[in-house]
Amino acid sequence: MGKNTRATRVHPARAPLGGSPLAGYVLRRLGMSVLLLFGVTLVTFSLANLVPGNPIVAALGEGAASNPATVAAYIEKHGLDQPLPVQYLNYLLNLFQGDMGVSLRTAQPVASDLAKAVPATIEVAIGAIIVSLAVGVALGSLAAYRRGKISDQLVRVLSLIGLSIPTFWMALVSFNFFFLQLRIAPGSGRLSPILSPPPTVTGLYTIDALLAGQWVTFMDAMAHLMLPVFVLSLFTIGLLTRFVRTSVLEVLDADYIRAGRAKGLSGPRMLFGYTLRGASLPILTIVGLAFGSLLSGTVLVEAVFAWPGLGSYAYNSATSLDLPGVMGVGLIVGVIYLGINFAVDLLYGVLDPRVRLA
Amino acid sequence: MRTKIRYVATALGLSASLALVGCAATAPEGGTGSAPTSIVIDTAFTLETADPGRNYVPTGYMVSKALYETLLDFAGSDESTPVPGLASYTQNDDATVFTFTLDEGRVFSDGTPVTADDVVFSLNRVKGMTESKANFLMEGIEVAKVDDKTVELSTATSSLKLPALMTNPSLAILNSKVVIENGGTTDNTDAAEKFLNTTSAGSGPYILDTLSVESQVVLTGNEKYNGAEDIDFDRVVIRNVSESATQKMNLEGGDSQVAVDLSGDQVAGLSGAVSVTSVPSAQTIFLLLNQNPEVAGVTANPEFASAVRYALDYPALLELAGAGSEQATGVIPPSFLGALTDGVKQDLAASKAALAASGYAGETITLEYPNDYPVGGVSFTPLAERIQSQLSAAGISVELAPAPFTTQIDEYVNGREAFSIWFWGPDYADSANFLPFQAGAKVGLRAGWTAEAAPSIVELATAAETATSMESREGAFSDFAEALQQQGPFVPLIVPGSNIATADFISGVNYNSTWTMDIAELQAK
Repeated sequence: MGKNTRATRVHPARAPLGGSPLAGYVLRRLGMSVLLLFGVTLVTFSLANLVPGNPIVAALGEGAASNPATVAAYIEKHGLDQPLPVQYLNYLLNLFQGDMGVSLRTAQPVASDLAKAVPATIEVAIGAIIVSLAVGVALGSLAAYRRGKISDQLVRVLSLIGLSIPTFWMALVSFNFFFLQLRIAPGSGRLSPILSPPPTVTGLYTIDALLAGQWVTFMDAMAHLMLPVFVLSLFTIGLLTRFVRTSVLEVLDADYIRAGRAKGLSGPRMLFGYTLRGASLPILTIVGLAFGSLLSGTVLVEAVFAWPGLGSYAYNSATSLDLPGVMGVGLIVGVIYLGINFAVDLLYGVLDPRVRLA
Repeated sequence: MRTKIRYVATALGLSASLALVGCAATAPEGGTGSAPTSIVIDTAFTLETADPGRNYVPTGYMVSKALYETLLDFAGSDESTPVPGLASYTQNDDATVFTFTLDEGRVFSDGTPVTADDVVFSLNRVKGMTESKANFLMEGIEVAKVDDKTVELSTATSSLKLPALMTNPSLAILNSKVVIENGGTTDNTDAAEKFLNTTSAGSGPYILDTLSVESQVVLTGNEKYNGAEDIDFDRVVIRNVSESATQKMNLEGGDSQVAVDLSGDQVAGLSGAVSVTSVPSAQTIFLLLNQNPEVAGVTANPEFASAVRYALDYPALLELAGAGSEQATGVIPPSFLGALTDGVKQDLAASKAALAASGYAGETITLEYPNDYPVGGVSFTPLAERIQSQLSAAGISVELAPAPFTTQIDEYVNGREAFSIWFWGPDYADSANFLPFQAGAKVGLRAGWTAEAAPSIVELATAAETATSMESREGAFSDFAEALQQQGPFVPLIVPGSNIATADFISGVNYNSTWTMDIAELQAK
């Protein structure tokens, strides 16, 4: 209360956008995100067109590409005879209408391809971030509370291992061990081949199966999530553990924590009510970044687990010079990052009033 | 106390959930004690469409082969002689007119009969779709209906390759009425692909259930099918598993029953109740030595190509390829008409003499190759390293220049690579597929080899192309392959193996160079 009063007193003439400080803060962040998104489209378009190689040969095949009339018709049909700025403008205009172009590889609208690929990756990324948060916060807090003791050393070593193990290797080893040797994990893919995907509502098989009341499909989808989630979360657990430990250690030295302890606060109330709350901002930053990188960096894990997600789509688009596909992936990854940053910024504002009033 | 009870309840709930998840993870796919009626095939997808007329890639061929039929076919893995498919054929003496007579009583999956109109429409549709990658297959072929059961295909010059062309799944026969109703045409305005990606319109042993070009294709038995195949598996799931190590583990763990893309090394390490069919594929991995002095400098010399040819230790290169692979005896792979029986042998003295005659003065030659595109399990990086080592021993200094396939291919097809490793595979099972290696043709020009530079090769290729009898044709192709081996700017290296691994209750795996295997031929033992 006191801080709010001080802030309005310092800037009495400046009426916040949207009528309230929080609304103004949201609007400013939203405007910035739109600008950044525009920049993302420009960078994606430029990079896609700088890639060496001939997408026309990739799209038509060598036979048709050796026919000048066919090539000319293809170029005209796709507007490739226009100067690059005009092509970019057309791309933007189409984008405003929800048209991300047609994939040269799948011959389907890129938006429709991404509508299938993105939920597959989101599903596994959400699982990985939930596991990472639970384990990382627990281990990081434990290490901070027991600084210098054996458990602290052990957690630090474990987190270092999590950060160091190559994800691709870990994916192969864990698939071999849990599926082939122990037989407690299912084979690759999102569902067992005998099952059909549930009716699409969100694209997340677990949620859609629950919504459709398909319990067997839900359990099967959960089972198929286990290993990819486990492998993807190892790195994030290592990262979070180290950040949580550092942040909690800083907070533990703060006066208000000492005062609380002196007054007898301890246990879960002390941890969740005061310590972790005080350490939440840097943790939030890391969670946001980790979630973003999980969504855009799952190529190798998706390859091992035959997971038809965004990483596989990006790789296949890039290796077949499917420029609309590549641009679609670039744009969607940009949107995801901006969305996460936006959400993290908002949460900053919610968690710490000083941020939204700055 | 209540808190403790809550914790215990939560723990029990979690345990139950985990147990259920575990059950789901290990649940068998079929019932116990009965023969499986469905199988799962794992392969790294090269799939763009389920429209046969627009397809030109291996997984697409495998799918089309199951859904549709062609005028002619091959029996098992014998690709030397086309046999009747939907039709039988006769040809005139100079092999310019081929008359196809449709089998009696054959029907599409909706029960309607297969007619000559369907054949004319299907072939002319591919011919009309100039943007289709398969369009070139109909180049120079005219199609005419004779009567309801007879169709005539004609060419301006002799074309003994035409029967083999008619086995290509891109030239499958579609239900013209259904396809026209859904946007099909015989010109470039055809819009039936979207429909054909959801519903098949063929007479093949299977029908399309679902298609995702990213993840999986599901086929189910065609109840109206009345052809020669007797399918054992009513439901076939073809999954996109890009990582061959995962394919191997899925097969060993029983999650799949067929793995298509295992390398020679992986096949050797297979465990469990599996069987493997290893045969040489129809791909040829070769070295290209550009003959254009502006591109290749001093190495644009046939003598330099000879020096490289005789410097290599081919058995040592073959060690990298594993099961099923063979030394390439020429640009025509072993299973094709006119293929040579013996490959080049290392002859360091001959190499040294040729090197001296070429004017090579110790310059470092750059060897380019795609480093992210293994062919038949053969990765080009170790192959390039071994070539570098062997050429170094013969006095030729080589530096390696790997690059991704997508960036390398443009340089290759435009003839801008001086010295590189590439591969070539047939589009249909006929030796005419290898005539582009001649001087002045597609692959020849990629090596800067013009028709004027080697008129004798062009003559041999023309003789092979226009032969009107199988006897003269075989000799002509042999002569062409021999001459190319002696004078050409290509050094054929390896024909990699094709390794198809299956659960041991499956038989009927017959490798085909175009559609890999015919799913309908897979049988439960």
